[in-house]
Amino acid sequence: MIEIIVFAPLLAAIVAGLGNRGLGNTVAKVVTTGALFLSCALSWPIFLGFLGGTAEPGVVPVLHWVQSGSLSFDWSLRVDTLTAIMLVVITSVSALVHLYSWGYMDEDPDQPRFFAYLSLFTFAMLMLVTANNLVQMFFGWEGVGLASYLLIGFWFRKPTANAAAIKAFVVNRVGDLGFMLGIFGLFLVFGTVSIPEILVAAPTAAGSSITFLGMRLSTLDILCFLLFIGAMGKSAQLGLHVWLPDAMEGPTPVSALIHAATMVTAGVFMVCRLSPLFELAPVASTIVTIIGAATCLFAATVGTTQWDIKRVIAYSTCSQLGYMFFAAGVGAYGAAMFHLFTHAFFKALLFLGAGSVIHAMHHEQDMRYYGNLRKEIPITFWAMMAGTLAITGVGILDVFGFAGFYSKDAILEAAYASGSEAGRTAFWLGAFAALLTSFYSWRLMFLTFWGRPRWALSEHIQHAVHHGHDDPDEANPPRQENSDMGEPHHVPSPDKGDGTAGYHPHESPWVMLIPLLILSVGAVFAGFVFHHQFIDSAAFWNGSIAYDEHLIHAMHDVPLWVKLTATIVMLVGLFIAWLGYLRDTSIPGKFADQLGPIYRFVYNKWYFDELYRLIFIRPAFWFGRQFWHAVDVGFIDRFGPNGVAELVDKGAYAAKRLQSGYLYSYALIMLLGLVAATSWFMVR
Amino acid sequence: MELTSSLGLIAPEILLSVAGLFLLLVAAWAGDRASSAISIAACVVLGAAFFLVAPSVCAGAAGLETVAFGGQFRADAFAGFAKLMIYAAAGAALVVAPAFFTRYAAMRAEYPVLVLFGTLGMSIMVSATDLLTLYIGLEMQSLAAYVLAAFLRPDQRSAEAGLKYFVLGALASGILLFGASLLYGFTGTTQFELMRVAMAGPISTGTLFGIVFVLAGLAFKISAVPFHMWTPDVYEGAPTPVTQFFATAPKVAAIALTARVALDAFGTHADAWRQVVIFAALASIVVGALGAIGQTNIKRLLAYSSINNVGFILIGLAAATPQGASAMLVYLVIYVAMSVGSFVAVLMLRDEDGAPVERLADLAGLSRTKPALAFCLAAMMFSLAGIPPLFGFWGKFVVFQAAVQADLVALAAIGIAASVIGAFYYIKVVKVMYFDEAVNVVRDRSDWAHWALLIISTALMSPLGYLLTGPLSVLADRAAASLFFLV
Amino acid sequence: MIQAFAFYLFAALVLASGAFTILARNPVHSVLWLILAFFNAAGLMVIVGAEFIAMLLVIVYVGAVAVLFLFVVMMLDIDFAELRSGLVRYFPLGLAIAVVLAAELVLGVGAYRAGALELGTPAAETAPLVGEANIVSIGALLYGRYLFLFESAGIILLVAMIGAIVLTQREARADAGRSQQNISRQVSRRPEEATVNTRPEVGQGVQL
Repeated sequence: MIEIIVFAPLLAAIVAGLGNRGLGNTVAKVVTTGALFLSCALSWPIFLGFLGGTAEPGVVPVLHWVQSGSLSFDWSLRVDTLTAIMLVVITSVSALVHLYSWGYMDEDPDQPRFFAYLSLFTFAMLMLVTANNLVQMFFGWEGVGLASYLLIGFWFRKPTANAAAIKAFVVNRVGDLGFMLGIFGLFLVFGTVSIPEILVAAPTAAGSSITFLGMRLSTLDILCFLLFIGAMGKSAQLGLHVWLPDAMEGPTPVSALIHAATMVTAGVFMVCRLSPLFELAPVASTIVTIIGAATCLFAATVGTTQWDIKRVIAYSTCSQLGYMFFAAGVGAYGAAMFHLFTHAFFKALLFLGAGSVIHAMHHEQDMRYYGNLRKEIPITFWAMMAGTLAITGVGILDVFGFAGFYSKDAILEAAYASGSEAGRTAFWLGAFAALLTSFYSWRLMFLTFWGRPRWALSEHIQHAVHHGHDDPDEANPPRQENSDMGEPHHVPSPDKGDGTAGYHPHESPWVMLIPLLILSVGAVFAGFVFHHQFIDSAAFWNGSIAYDEHLIHAMHDVPLWVKLTATIVMLVGLFIAWLGYLRDTSIPGKFADQLGPIYRFVYNKWYFDELYRLIFIRPAFWFGRQFWHAVDVGFIDRFGPNGVAELVDKGAYAAKRLQSGYLYSYALIMLLGLVAATSWFMVR
Repeated sequence: MELTSSLGLIAPEILLSVAGLFLLLVAAWAGDRASSAISIAACVVLGAAFFLVAPSVCAGAAGLETVAFGGQFRADAFAGFAKLMIYAAAGAALVVAPAFFTRYAAMRAEYPVLVLFGTLGMSIMVSATDLLTLYIGLEMQSLAAYVLAAFLRPDQRSAEAGLKYFVLGALASGILLFGASLLYGFTGTTQFELMRVAMAGPISTGTLFGIVFVLAGLAFKISAVPFHMWTPDVYEGAPTPVTQFFATAPKVAAIALTARVALDAFGTHADAWRQVVIFAALASIVVGALGAIGQTNIKRLLAYSSINNVGFILIGLAAATPQGASAMLVYLVIYVAMSVGSFVAVLMLRDEDGAPVERLADLAGLSRTKPALAFCLAAMMFSLAGIPPLFGFWGKFVVFQAAVQADLVALAAIGIAASVIGAFYYIKVVKVMYFDEAVNVVRDRSDWAHWALLIISTALMSPLGYLLTGPLSVLADRAAASLFFLV
Repeated sequence: MIQAFAFYLFAALVLASGAFTILARNPVHSVLWLILAFFNAAGLMVIVGAEFIAMLLVIVYVGAVAVLFLFVVMMLDIDFAELRSGLVRYFPLGLAIAVVLAAELVLGVGAYRAGALELGTPAAETAPLVGEANIVSIGALLYGRYLFLFESAGIILLVAMIGAIVLTQREARADAGRSQQNISRQVSRRPEEATVNTRPEVGQGVQL
């Protein structure tokens, strides 16, 4: 059964990818989407089996892969609680995104390619989560990276998309290096790459030390840190996060599937999969906590200032991933996985909702040109509302809450209850980030769905009004210049007419709305239904992650104010957003003017891109150019190919000159050869 | 008794000479009208000789029972292997001739007769185990070749080629004879076996001179640098079927003869001549490759190509081991097939008037006007360049392998590096055919025989050729072993 | 004693006439020098007891080959001055080669004479034939021991003959492309057919 789940998407990808245009759009769409729904349908029983405690973990071997000396491993599919959670998340979101793409990509000429990539991605992700050894996990890890690259650059005629794809790939390679070193190190220390064997052997290595880069370090700490670098790259943690916002250049369904629900959580999954190892590495865990919390805060601050609707959600994703990591860092792996689970639903929902809005607004992504859309596209509005309630964590203690309420509260409680310095810090940073989360989420909602229409100033809308709404030339949407480079403009005041420019947004087709509705159900109920098993049940996890009973007890015993913190900051954030974007829209502008330097610092994403350009990219280009001009052209080419070619050319000319055609010169050369040979023997 | 067994051993040669004499009579009687019939008859005779020789090759004949006429002649597997190639190549040269000469109204009945006698000379050459036999065979082959080169008398270039070949060949023969007289004087014998016995121990200067002079004379025949100068001029001037003949059969004969002289007669002093052979090998590779680069005439280019290939074969000789000799034979088989294929393809190129096309530039765009022909020629060129999936790679591989096994690693390395230069002009031909704009329409009115030869050689050079590596290696190993079989 | 004297005389004359064959300016002289060289070589053969070969030299080489050369040289109209211009240009280099070769040969022979080298023992057991007449011995060897080579040499001569005929007979044949003399047409040609009068304008040129 698990084989079908994993390999059906691969088969579909091969069929759609190789068939491509010969196959036609409809066949490709049916094959891929059908395969995904099949996988999804088979995944839920497995998950429910683990939920009910009836299923047993197991490993299904597929093929023997490598046998080289002491290095030996198989292709095999591991199924346990952790995998089962990932299976339902991946297959469900992927299936819904496939379906959604029927509508969203309807006008695109390259649909078979798109769907093939999507299915390929799903296969790679499934490979990753079912891996029983680190090499297979790395295969999946690189596979999702490849699919991500292909999908970000799907509209490859757009230079920005290409640049974003390359950026994502390169930044991920940096993380991958850490992951690879981690795998090498684990093999060096434990002599195996099998995950269960490593986890069993891990306690024996605790307390040992290893020399790395000339320093004497705790073995497990350094190994876990290296693995975490890999996780940072894939999960866009502070420092290696720069690719994620740019990745929004890809089509919106891709953002929902890869850059919100699944691939970016691979890092969290990996840390949880290896949680017994991290448990034995306190220093590395502390680093995980701090990086996670810092990312959480950083991304939230940036999210408050962005105008592009997808970028706001992208930074939100980054921030939520920070929550997961610091939960894992303080030892609450269950809470981390729970947040991963709920986040997958509500963040996919938000992205797909945003996609629906963009679809309705004719590919306009700037929130400054939205406004008052709740009456125009009500279903999308309500779906987005459900997602917003989930992400901001609305709920009443012990009664009912939306998905994020349970998972985020659990994380904050765990951070507080861990008692460590890093945990406490993470708690306060997380709480503040929750305030910011609430603020930017409601800011997004208010700017988009409330207020007065401000569509008239959008070039996309004007274009649509002049050329007819369903212009077939719009198949490949020309994206606007991103607003992240220049100074922030003032919010254009809707003074011309009613601000609609005569444009009527229309609700998306049902293939797009159905996934929204299904995900809305998940966003609303996922936390309420599953929180007991995820947080409180060691039996549910059944040893698939490190489960700390003490921490769970401590979490239940935290003071009431801690439990209420999340709700309080959520309300504060909502109030500020209401104040600034509904009641008096002049406040944000004044605020930005007042705190100019800080605003610009945050708006420009803490100048990370500029910093990297200065310290990495430009020196790298400089080195490259030096090697190109001086070494390659100046030395290798000059004395290598070109020099030899010139020599050959001269030799050919000499040989031609020698061949004069005169008999006596031929005879002379023969005799010269004879004399040379005899002389050689005489002097020898 | 001795005479009877000797006559049995030279049965192929007897067949060739009797058939040659008989066909000469027919030619004298029937005149040029019978030239086609005589050609066919000559082909049949060559085929019969082929099957006379084949059993001894398969059996790996060696030892005393192969010696005829008291040690002047030996019909062992090595000679047999070379004879098979010679007969096949001579047959190919007969097949393609009528179509070419008919255009000049120059197809004469003497052509097949001369080819037969030339083949007889080569047959004697490869079996020679005596300096006298060596010279007799060499001269018989050479005289036929001089006449064949000038066969198209009205054509200035053909006459010039014949004259050049004759004068330089006479010079080479003089050098060879002088060396032979030195050897006879210092060893007291003309037989290879006895000569080797006489040479045992420290080598005398006179003997050394004899060795050098004899090898120099032979180097002329195999057109190794610096005795190669005649090759481009003669190959270009001679009628194309004759050039094809020159590039294949006499090369095989001269190389086999050189190998026998060097490994048998001079075998105890391999260290003495090895350096000269190494120099000739490397110089041939480099000069052959460099010289070919500037050429605009396809026949001249192929002449340099043959010089280049001889260099690789000499690497096998420099090894002076049974593996080396076996590698030479394998390389020769492949070389003959490649040369026949290339020249047949060239012969099939005709311009609109039906005149032969020889300039490289006229090949431009052949891939569009004659895709099948262009494909075959491209396969030949890639194979000559030694590019792996094609069979030409195998020949170079075994030769270098033999050199490495004989501890001549540096020679092998330089040879491999130099073969890169050769790849340039082979691939240039392909480039001209496939990427240049067509300048004139190349038509061919080739008969099925041309196509058959071309397809056979292309199939041999294709990766299918590797199916032959097993039997080919076995036969070549046996032949090489018979060469090293001491009586 | 007399043998030694004769040997040195003949040998010196062979060398001298060989040199003059090459050096003579007049080709007819060259052939004459060649004939002298043959005669002296025949004399050398007589001294070593090979009288049959001496006869062959005189009859075949002097009587046939050299005389043929003489005829050919006299009949061919060759510009000898032009031929020799190359010789002068390349003479220094050729001389250098000759000197090197000669020096090496002297060195080799000198080493041989010094006794450092051992002369191999002749393999051919010619002893039983000693005492027979020269021609008998040669005949016995040619048709016995060297039968195969002798017959092969015959074929070489045949090939040479075929070659000569093939290359020269062609001239006699009426080649299709070659223009031939038509005597009747030549004789019947009249001035009116061959000449024409024109009066061209100045600066216009003539249309022929």
